[in-house]
Amino acid sequence: MSIITIDNLKKYYKKTHALRGVSFSVDKGELFGLLGVNGAGKTTLIKILCGLTQKSGGTAIVDGLSLDTQIDSIKQIIDFSPQESAVALNLTVKENLDFFASIYGKSNQEDIQEIVDIFKLNDLLNQKAKTLSGGYKRRLSIAIALISKPKILFLDEPTLGLDVLARRELWRIITDLKGKITIILTSHYLEEIEHLCDRVAILSKGALVGVGTVDYFKQLTQSKSFEDAFVALLGDNYG
Amino acid sequence: MAKTINFCKRNLKELLRDPLLYVFCLGFPIVMLALFQIINNYTNGSTPVFELKSLLPGIIMFSYTFAMLLMALIVSKDRQTFFLKRLYSSPMRAKDFVLGYAIVGLIIGVCQSIVCILAGGVVALITKQVFVGFGRVLLLFVSQMPILVFFVFAGILIGTAFNDKAAPGICSILISVAGVLGGCWMPLDMMGGFETICRVIPFYPSVYIGRVVCGAKNALGAVFIFDKVAYLGLLVIGIYTVISVLSAFLLFEKNMVSDN
Repeated sequence: MSIITIDNLKKYYKKTHALRGVSFSVDKGELFGLLGVNGAGKTTLIKILCGLTQKSGGTAIVDGLSLDTQIDSIKQIIDFSPQESAVALNLTVKENLDFFASIYGKSNQEDIQEIVDIFKLNDLLNQKAKTLSGGYKRRLSIAIALISKPKILFLDEPTLGLDVLARRELWRIITDLKGKITIILTSHYLEEIEHLCDRVAILSKGALVGVGTVDYFKQLTQSKSFEDAFVALLGDNYG
Repeated sequence: MAKTINFCKRNLKELLRDPLLYVFCLGFPIVMLALFQIINNYTNGSTPVFELKSLLPGIIMFSYTFAMLLMALIVSKDRQTFFLKRLYSSPMRAKDFVLGYAIVGLIIGVCQSIVCILAGGVVALITKQVFVGFGRVLLLFVSQMPILVFFVFAGILIGTAFNDKAAPGICSILISVAGVLGGCWMPLDMMGGFETICRVIPFYPSVYIGRVVCGAKNALGAVFIFDKVAYLGLLVIGIYTVISVLSAFLLFEKNMVSDN
């Protein structure tokens, strides 16, 4: 059952075509990856679905709600963790969690504690966000995104710039969320997409190259690895 | 409204933990007041603009420029750190954001007024000057509210329009203009051709109204309830304030769905 259906979605920035009529659907509870090199249109697509920027054409339905007319209702059921850690730097970890929970009217302390436990933030609750390491800032950023109990969570390059250990820890957390909520994850780390995602949409220069499982792309290109499949699919378009 | 209040609480916490608030918004006006009173003592009160009743409204108006700076800094920094972008995808609307910032700015401005007036009282006690009565103090406080609203929303507007590197620069220009053309510590008749300009931008009219309310020597002859210049000044401040408030709301709303 589809929770997101987008059809012929377009986005133009003056002369640049960021999205050129992209269509696909995402199933409920799925961990869906958006893969592409820099400038492929991944972040633009997420921004449109989160109501951060307006589309130039096409339609999008999110949990039965139209992006054109029901964006306020959509914002009640989604949350978004951007590429950079989006936290209030002078507030403590606890104050950040409390603040974002209050914005969504979900200030139940038991729910907040559950998120704290999942993300192993117990020892850092009274520490200011600006003093956290990059890995913990990102962890807090994703924890904040879950505090509103969203039906759909958008993670834009969640592990960008993190070291291997911090990245693996975030993978563990994201894997634990699988099936509980729908997650749309963008990345240009192939191993991340391969490790985490149920299905992948590959974008190149704003156009959809294909949608399917990692194995589907391997079979399609007769490749042994996903990286080879990715290169086979995008190699001609790159540069 | 709950979203606005919660956002307001967050902004207040952020600013209270920023040393800039104490240095510029509270410390600097007191230092200015003390400095000009020392100069006034050395010149045996020969410069009417340095008289306490004349200086205080100027100091209050000038102190609000730092509230503007703080507003510009917090808004531009929030945008820079992706904090606002995340909140844009939440159910918060433009009015929740702008009011959440503005209420904090107004609280800071009110605190600045109180600190300046209390400092003025202390200076009056030390220098044995006649200070204004309680009624006039209240009136002075109220008379400076429109320019406070102007500065707070101007700060939000600047923080929305510029990044965290450019915003302080733009604010510095406005702070300098407000200090000089506001006639805070320079008599208007010394400004030559700038006199007309001073009357059509909101800084001097606000200081003038404050001086009329306090009964300062350089505003003598003006009885505030009959003074046409004061009313015209209020109109000028009102126009600028309405423009800054509307612009802040409109630009913020536009930036929420930007093409950046």
